[in-house]
Amino acid sequence: MVETQLVTSIVPPLAFVLPIIGAAGVVPFTANAPRLRKAALAAICVLEVIVAASFVPGVLSGSEYQTHLVQLTPRIWMYLHVDALGALFGLTASVLWLIALVYSFGYMEGEHRLGRYYAFFMLALSWTMGVAYAGNLLTFLIFYELFSLLTYPLIVHEETPEAMAAGTKYIIYILIGGSLVLLAIVFTFFLAGDQTLAAQGGLLALSMGKGKLVAVFWCFVAGFGVKAALVPLHGWVPDAHPAAPAPFSAVLSGVMVAAGSFGIMRVVFNVFGVALLRELDVMRWLTYFAAFTVVFAALLAVSQDNLKRRLAYSTISQMGYVALGIGLLGEEAATGAIVHIANHAFMKGALFLCAGLLIKRAGIRNVSDLSGIAQKMPVTTAAFAIATLAMIGTPPLSGFVSKWFLGLGMLDVGQPWYLAVLLGGALLAAVYLLPIVYAAYFRPPSAAVMALPERVGGEAPASMLVPLIAAVVLVIVLGIASSVPGMPLSLARLAAGIAFK
Amino acid sequence: MEGTEVATAVEAVTTAYSALPGLLVAVPLLSALLVRPLGKRWPSARNALMVGTTAATLLGAVAMIGPVSEAHRIGCEIPAMLGTLTFTVDPFGLLFALFTTFVWFCSTLYSLDYLKHEHAHDRYHTTSLVVLAANLGVVLAGDLVTLYLFFEALGLVAFLLVIHTETEDAKRASLKYLWMTVIGGFMLVGGIFLTFAIGGDGTLAPIVAREGTETLRWVASILLVLGFGVKAGMLPVHVWLPDAHPVAPSPASALLSGVMIKAGAYGIFRTVLVLMRPEVTEHFDEAAWHFTSQLGLVVLWIGMATMLIGVMLALGQHNAKRMLAYHSVSQMGFILAGLGAAGYLGVHGAMGVAGGLFHVVNHALFKSCLFLGVGAVFFRTGELDMYKLGGLWKKMPLTFLFTLIAAAGITGVPLFNGFVSKCLIHHALVEAAEYHELASLAFAEKIFIVTCGGTACSFIKLIGFVFLGKPKQEYGPEVKDAPPRMLTAMGFLSAAIITLGVAPQLLIKGIFEPGSELWGIHPAILDEYLEKLFLSPADLMSVALAFAIGATIFVVGMRFGLFHLKAPKWFGVDYWYGKAALGLIAFCGFLGAWYDLARGFVGDGLRWSMARYRSEWNRIERARRRLVMTLATGAPGPRDQHFVQGAYVVLERERQATVRRAVTDAMTVVRERPEHGEAACRAYVDAVRDVATYMAGRLFHERMGVVSDLVRYGMAEEVRHGFDGVVRDVVATRDSVSATALAVADRRMAGESVTREISAAVNRILSDERFDSRLAALVVIPNPTGRAADTAEAIRQALPDLAAIRAYRTEGLTRLEKAARWMSDITRLAVEAITQERSSWLFADHFGEESVVGTRLAIQRYARDMSFNVAVIVLVALAFLLALGVRA
Repeated sequence: MVETQLVTSIVPPLAFVLPIIGAAGVVPFTANAPRLRKAALAAICVLEVIVAASFVPGVLSGSEYQTHLVQLTPRIWMYLHVDALGALFGLTASVLWLIALVYSFGYMEGEHRLGRYYAFFMLALSWTMGVAYAGNLLTFLIFYELFSLLTYPLIVHEETPEAMAAGTKYIIYILIGGSLVLLAIVFTFFLAGDQTLAAQGGLLALSMGKGKLVAVFWCFVAGFGVKAALVPLHGWVPDAHPAAPAPFSAVLSGVMVAAGSFGIMRVVFNVFGVALLRELDVMRWLTYFAAFTVVFAALLAVSQDNLKRRLAYSTISQMGYVALGIGLLGEEAATGAIVHIANHAFMKGALFLCAGLLIKRAGIRNVSDLSGIAQKMPVTTAAFAIATLAMIGTPPLSGFVSKWFLGLGMLDVGQPWYLAVLLGGALLAAVYLLPIVYAAYFRPPSAAVMALPERVGGEAPASMLVPLIAAVVLVIVLGIASSVPGMPLSLARLAAGIAFK
Repeated sequence: MEGTEVATAVEAVTTAYSALPGLLVAVPLLSALLVRPLGKRWPSARNALMVGTTAATLLGAVAMIGPVSEAHRIGCEIPAMLGTLTFTVDPFGLLFALFTTFVWFCSTLYSLDYLKHEHAHDRYHTTSLVVLAANLGVVLAGDLVTLYLFFEALGLVAFLLVIHTETEDAKRASLKYLWMTVIGGFMLVGGIFLTFAIGGDGTLAPIVAREGTETLRWVASILLVLGFGVKAGMLPVHVWLPDAHPVAPSPASALLSGVMIKAGAYGIFRTVLVLMRPEVTEHFDEAAWHFTSQLGLVVLWIGMATMLIGVMLALGQHNAKRMLAYHSVSQMGFILAGLGAAGYLGVHGAMGVAGGLFHVVNHALFKSCLFLGVGAVFFRTGELDMYKLGGLWKKMPLTFLFTLIAAAGITGVPLFNGFVSKCLIHHALVEAAEYHELASLAFAEKIFIVTCGGTACSFIKLIGFVFLGKPKQEYGPEVKDAPPRMLTAMGFLSAAIITLGVAPQLLIKGIFEPGSELWGIHPAILDEYLEKLFLSPADLMSVALAFAIGATIFVVGMRFGLFHLKAPKWFGVDYWYGKAALGLIAFCGFLGAWYDLARGFVGDGLRWSMARYRSEWNRIERARRRLVMTLATGAPGPRDQHFVQGAYVVLERERQATVRRAVTDAMTVVRERPEHGEAACRAYVDAVRDVATYMAGRLFHERMGVVSDLVRYGMAEEVRHGFDGVVRDVVATRDSVSATALAVADRRMAGESVTREISAAVNRILSDERFDSRLAALVVIPNPTGRAADTAEAIRQALPDLAAIRAYRTEGLTRLEKAARWMSDITRLAVEAITQERSSWLFADHFGEESVVGTRLAIQRYARDMSFNVAVIVLVALAFLLALGVRA
């Protein structure tokens, strides 16, 4: 492997400055010019994708980018640092955000308080990019907290009683999680001082006291676990997803929940380091929790009738895979976990976009009303079917790639019994998703579907269908072309390789 | 040493590059893209495309014969997915590719006419091409990922063939098919994962098992066999097959039953004889073969069970296609038995390999031909129930002929292809029985013969009921031989059946011998078969025996109606799978309900604790305020004191109201006398106010005195409730005060002294209102008898009258007496403050007028108490000084 070299660059700050420009500079001044607003925001998101993608070639060839932003105190810097893991997460987030933004143009048509929606939507992107590229724990914390708290207006956007209740739940969970993260970071500062996230960990050392390290570790995991929806910290997820507008559900599920898993990765790989964690022997417990999460959430998903709720439980289950992959402490498993973040983002994104189309265009929220919808909404149903197959892990779609590496990782670390969890979770994914596809195509139309008028102008506006198709194409491409350099798999391999060097 | 060299030589068989395998998979996929656009406008062009594509793949497969026989292994790699998709063709793979493309070609040709009474032709044809590509992908795959990719694609896309007619039966069957396929896929991928755990590298090559992985090896093998077995219709995971194959359109049934289940057989073949075998060497090391041998035995017995139970179930069917589907299960049993025997025999298993794989080919040919034949009958008559047809040989002679040839093939009539493969399997079984002298395997050979008998019986039934005998119904003019394209397709298949039956060496010499050699299995025994055993009397005798058994079963079965027996539902695994699936769903529902309940409890609990927290917080907040108040104003008085405070407020209000009333009256008077100047008026009102204020003040103090006395005698509790009422009753005094004030105002303005009049008026008012008696009347003692009555009387007696009070207050006391009284009051208050029960303290929760007044009082009292304290301290200090002085 090529030695990594640090390059100081001014590009990383752009990643979080651009969306802020969108939120603060575009949205307030275009209230009466919706088309201008859409164009400007889309342009910003495209720029964002370009910025995020611009790091990839460099990172793959062994460079890492850094920027010292602001000196908060003589000892503490705001510091951005783009490594393989961050580059992957940033790229995934920016692409998914672009898709969801364009989808919003169609979905949010005629909704109230659009200015607020778009402003916070762009801000959330900004914070996410900050999380992705944060180079030390404090920077990470700042962006993580901003991004946790300032998404509240998006969750309660519809302002129905359910949405408000879900929002309250969200904020309570997230505040508790955030406090734990803060506690853990303070503890880390106490133990190690302000250090940048190191490639193979090493901020902490066993000499600091095993008990303290274990305490720090669990604070981190419990804090990020709330975001990552590890059972039993998952309570906010099944309520927040159905309440939020569909495009935001997509990024909520695809990126925001994954940000918790990303945090755990940062902790495991860059704060503690694999070697230290092996000595501490705590990851076992993380895998137990993760395995339970995978199966338990999937079992619960089966009995949900509300489609978005079912998908939300599915997200919990899938994030369990990621945590499981991290917990196994093997290079292959870590590769699987990292790449699953990217793959899951688009699979679940596509599914939520479908759910949004069903809500918006057919007024259907429940699985039991979906029978026969394929006749009325063929594109949506086809997209749903493909994303479903990917979720189950059917080759050559993207879900298979992550499951393949997770499975190999389990064997690699000599724990083949976790295969039962891996395959059981996938089988349950089939149980909770395939009947939907089957019913949509082959069951006689339900009353709700019969009541739908023949659509003169097609199934949905292009601004909703095109992002959906884009997401599905990504699901396919990320599977078929997964080994092409620059694809998530290459970045995930690189990241895992660095972490386990 | 020598062995090692040979081994190296065997390993040295490298894979020659050839793009053909990749092309074979790619071509149908690409032309599948064209089906829909063409089919929309030019259906005939689409038909041509279909035939052309399948013919092209057939030619492609044929074209591989040359390179494969030269290089033994050809292949190519396509960059995709996790790196590359690898295609490798050895003679066995080639064999599968050949018959797959051949049967596909025939079936496609047949489908062109057959589909006329079906809908969605484009969907059918697209699906068919994709499935063809997937099927070829499976048998040409060079590594396990590629194999799994195409296997899953095959299973999932073929779903569209099963459900094609979209009848209720088809939907039910397709659901079962879908779930079995999905679960089978998971077992398969689990097995593939585990091959990595035991030391495999993902290629289709013998796995050099690591030490201590015996259990994992078994788990991997079983998962692989089950995963492939689902597709193969192997017991006990065959349940989807008899439902799914009959409901598909006949050409699709032919593909499903003839070709696609062979993908499963192919997988099991590769598992037992490639993945789980020891490395290819010239040496025969029995210990190394131990695992394969055991696995082979397991597969062999699964095969025996499958063939026997399959044929038993087939005998009970009415629907011709369903019967054929059960025979597919049964015939897969033959194949598995052959492959199992091959695994059991290890390097000596060439007979089993050849038997199993030959039967794969044969079954593909005759089973698809049978489905096409029965399909042709259905195409013309619309009937599939064997018991309702008959006598069709006259109406459909060519169809009859081809079906008969296929039936001869499946029952193993000499010179038809089934005869060869069945004999090979039979020999393999006998060999296996002799290999370790296992008695159970000798028994297996008997089962084999009985099963052959059952098969014979079944097809006697089919041919007899459908084509021979008397027609059970009137056939219309539309019942005639099938259209030419359908007949051609069946003709091709029949020709192949006879060719292979007459010249089995084509396959044995062309495929099995080089293939066996490639994989290090001794092929010599196959030559021996061709030379000595093919059409030998012993083999012919065993066929005759089978037919005799078949005829017996037929006669006995018809005589006693055995073919209409139905086993109870719970007898089949199908029933239990259904139960398990429903159980899982029910469990999920149950879990979800309980989880929601638990969530509800937690939510309620949280809400309860929240409310609890709020009330506790309020309590603490009150306590805090009380504390602050205590700190700021000193210890609050007891309850009686509170009453005094309240009374003070009420009476103070009354005082103010009285004054206000007088002033209002004065204003009225002034307004009636406008002739006076403004100054005069103001002076008048002021005079009235002065007088009224004085009088009201007197009244207030007198009344307060009464209240204080009552409290002192412990009457506060009784008096409290009626107190406001009493005060309301004395409102009339306002008039008197006002009248007096108005009356004396002028004189006061004039500067005269009016003190006397005022005092008299006040005294009169006081004696009129009898405030003390009114209050005393409130003291009610219930049931005033005995001691209680005495007490009440005593209290009444004890009540001082107003005069006494007044006397007590003001008159006849020396200064010293007043000081002493003050001292005693303070002492009493102090004692009360110390001894009072804290819980009886009362507090105002908010600062109203009352609490302000109360606080003012409290402050006064505090000052008073503090002055007492200070006085005590001063006294003590004085005493101390005095003592010091005395000492000095």
